[in-house]
Amino acid sequence: MRTLLLVASFLVAAVAQDQTAPAAASGSAASPDAPVATPADSPISGSIELGYRFVQGPLGNADVYRSTVDLSQGPRLIGLDFTVQPVKPLFDRLEVHASSWGGDPYNAARIEVEKNGLYRLTADYRNMAYFDFLPSFANPAASAGSLLTESSFDTRIRSSDVELEMLPGRWISPYFGWSRSSWYGDGITDFTAFPNNYPVSNSISDSTNTFRGGVQIQSHGVHLVLEEGGTTFRDDQGASDTTLNNGDYTATYFGEQLNLSSLSELYRVRGDSLYTKALLAANPLSWLSVSGQFLYADPSLTTNYTSLANGTFFLPATFLFYNSGSDIATADAEMPHTSGSLNVEARPIRRLRIVEYWSTDRLHNATSSLLMEEYLTTGSQFLTTNPDADRLVLNDNEQQIEVFYDLLPNLTVHGGERYEWGDATVRGSPLSEFPLESASLSRNTGLAGASYRWKQHVRASADFEAATGGEEYFRTSLHNYWKLHSRAQWDFLTGWRLAGDFFELNNNNPDPSVNLQFTSRAESASLSWLPNNGRNVSVLLEYTRSNVNSNILYLDPGTLGTALSAYLENGNTATALIDLAPKAVHGFAPRFSFGGSLFTSAGSQPTDYYQPTARLSIPLAKGVQWNSEWRWYSLAERLYAFEDFRSNQLMVSLKYTR
Amino acid sequence: MLLVGMAAFAQTADIHASSDKCAACHDEISKNFEKNPHHVVETDKHLGHAGFACEACHGPGAKHADSLAASDIRNPGKMTPDEQNKLCLSCHRNERTPVGPVADGHAKDGPGCVGCHSIHGADRRPLMVKKTADVNHLCAGCHQSVWADFQRPYKHRLAEGAMSCVDCHNPHGSNMAEMMRVSFANEPGCFRCHGEMRGPFTYEHAPVRLEGCAACHEPHGSANPRMLIRQEVRFVCLECHSNLPVPQPSTAHPTLGGVPPAFHDLRNPQFQNCTVCHVRVHGSYVDGALLR
Repeated sequence: MRTLLLVASFLVAAVAQDQTAPAAASGSAASPDAPVATPADSPISGSIELGYRFVQGPLGNADVYRSTVDLSQGPRLIGLDFTVQPVKPLFDRLEVHASSWGGDPYNAARIEVEKNGLYRLTADYRNMAYFDFLPSFANPAASAGSLLTESSFDTRIRSSDVELEMLPGRWISPYFGWSRSSWYGDGITDFTAFPNNYPVSNSISDSTNTFRGGVQIQSHGVHLVLEEGGTTFRDDQGASDTTLNNGDYTATYFGEQLNLSSLSELYRVRGDSLYTKALLAANPLSWLSVSGQFLYADPSLTTNYTSLANGTFFLPATFLFYNSGSDIATADAEMPHTSGSLNVEARPIRRLRIVEYWSTDRLHNATSSLLMEEYLTTGSQFLTTNPDADRLVLNDNEQQIEVFYDLLPNLTVHGGERYEWGDATVRGSPLSEFPLESASLSRNTGLAGASYRWKQHVRASADFEAATGGEEYFRTSLHNYWKLHSRAQWDFLTGWRLAGDFFELNNNNPDPSVNLQFTSRAESASLSWLPNNGRNVSVLLEYTRSNVNSNILYLDPGTLGTALSAYLENGNTATALIDLAPKAVHGFAPRFSFGGSLFTSAGSQPTDYYQPTARLSIPLAKGVQWNSEWRWYSLAERLYAFEDFRSNQLMVSLKYTR
Repeated sequence: MLLVGMAAFAQTADIHASSDKCAACHDEISKNFEKNPHHVVETDKHLGHAGFACEACHGPGAKHADSLAASDIRNPGKMTPDEQNKLCLSCHRNERTPVGPVADGHAKDGPGCVGCHSIHGADRRPLMVKKTADVNHLCAGCHQSVWADFQRPYKHRLAEGAMSCVDCHNPHGSNMAEMMRVSFANEPGCFRCHGEMRGPFTYEHAPVRLEGCAACHEPHGSANPRMLIRQEVRFVCLECHSNLPVPQPSTAHPTLGGVPPAFHDLRNPQFQNCTVCHVRVHGSYVDGALLR
């Protein structure tokens, strides 16, 4: 980070050196974000923005604030974007983008270098804070001990991607790439020893590396991509605790107080995979285009697991208490996964388009494991060895045909049919008489829709699909359903646009053991006004109303009675953004924006979330701009008031553009 | 053969105007175009349109150059989305982009390529938007209700600039539902960041493979912690693990997972948050009950 700031400082100094008379002196009114004219011999053009964020609070629950917003106080490199002019013969274009460095939770950087027709190199880096300390218990009235979440983490996700493409744009273009994603940090997880569970600290450390190489070939209307790649995966997570822990079950169990006095739990997981990709597209006839994909991967994992726990535990199998338990497990898993698809598009006559799509996805996971458990109690020892195997098989297929017809030059209608079928086999419940459970998928869906365009002013479309009955994998899957999505936008005057969006999904399953009734609806409307392309004024107003209503039966094991799982959410979201940039007076051209968004919901979990904002930009000199931005974050959970937080933030920054 | 070649050249020269001729009237567009990645079409002989880059998309322009009539030249901006896509995809189909391969247009008959890409860079709009905020702004212009989801408290951090829509979706088409990007070869794009959930696990949780992450999560945004589809985790679980007698394999329409591996007293708060004990709910390396 320091290096980056140093580089940024040098860049500021370098570009500032070239700076001549300020805009105020020359009398020119520099538009805040407009690129300043670059001298022909200037090697670098771009912008850099440095600032400082002041944060008041957060007032209320700081953990929920960090889980939701996570912006903190301090100096920041808000953005850095520059392009280096061609340096022959090395490159024709070099671009660097960086944002949110210096303590913000999400840092990003990207470099692109290209020499036309010879190579293109891109490198992308992200570093994201992944903090979660949200109370996830079911009953807010539970004892205070449960108020501390038992599943949380303070981690970061880092991802990098580098790719080199040779001879871009040529008929044959090879490429090579490497990407890496890692997740690391600390957290809290649960160690479960029936009938109790104990929150313990854990460390998280996993990474995935992907290597790939391929070639893109295009010749005489045929486009082919062949890629071969491989991944390596490692997961070295673990949990440990050395303090006496009574867990969630605080009462005595058959007269004994259950507890955990020490724990050491370690995972060592290693995996690898090779994959093959082939993508082909061709136009064998002027009225016929064909494209297809073949994808194959064969990931496998090997697991070594050890755990040693001391305390007072209960072993249901022997109905005895024990003081020490150790487990050793090894496991192997392999999951060949094949996918393929074919898309054929025919235009037999000018107004007619027929699109046929077929795809298949086959995934077979076969695993074997060996678990050895040892339980020690005063004067006795129990040792068990449990070999096991598991399976998950999925064969999914889809066929869809859709016909598009230009009824009028501005109106296209389409209709068709989709058939999905497949089968799945998974591990059966221990309470089930079958070791494996199977289910089938068979769903016939009708499709219809239309789209209308009038010049550049009106655009409207609607898509509808519906299915009745059939077979599905889960109780909550689509059964008797219909779905409608329509959109429209109308530029009714110069600079004015009115847009609307409507979506509804209605799904039900009348089977007496399911009795599912599900509806999801969202309606949006927006109005924007950008006179003169928004140079001086722009106004954007958006409103969305959403509704989710789900009712499904389940059996409450406590009462052995049928209960209704009912979920209702009525949400309202509004966003407004007004941007004012009055004409410059004596070279002074400030820009003022204000607005923000609010979300409020009623129903099973009523929530209010407000994010108002205001921003003022003032050009100080040619290419130099002072920005200040105020933000307010406020969360109010009406049923879980202890999660509420509020925070005031002010960011001031200087942006230099050339 | 020489004569045939000369005749063909003469015919081509006859119907084409050349980019210089276009620039004589369309000076501003021409200057902008020089900074555009498509300018390589003008300069690279290998691409077959050197000196005629404008006409690579607009078609032969000699007639238009003579008459100056708009009706004498093809304007892709006014073509139907399908025609636009066909034109652009004649070069770009299957092309690898940072968001995945270009499989097709964006939607069935929705905006064509120029709906998102500014070919000439008019109004200072770039050919491709790259900054996360700009990408999100572009997508939100049409997908209003989706953008509204991101204004909820628990969401992927798009509004904060941490991610963009194209980190998860390939707007150029995908073999996965909802235009999801794929990771590795044929796995959901979610695993690009959440690699620890990729597996294969010794003990899988079937919905992750069969119906994907969205079976339990609202990936855009939710009012519920953990971005779940219900306000409490137990209701997410109970909707499938209902304890009710499910149709068995001997019957016509069996479903999966109806009976859970154990009966819990849901009146006890300890059992109301399933993932407190079933910590490996996405899949376990060592335990069939997903407890560790």
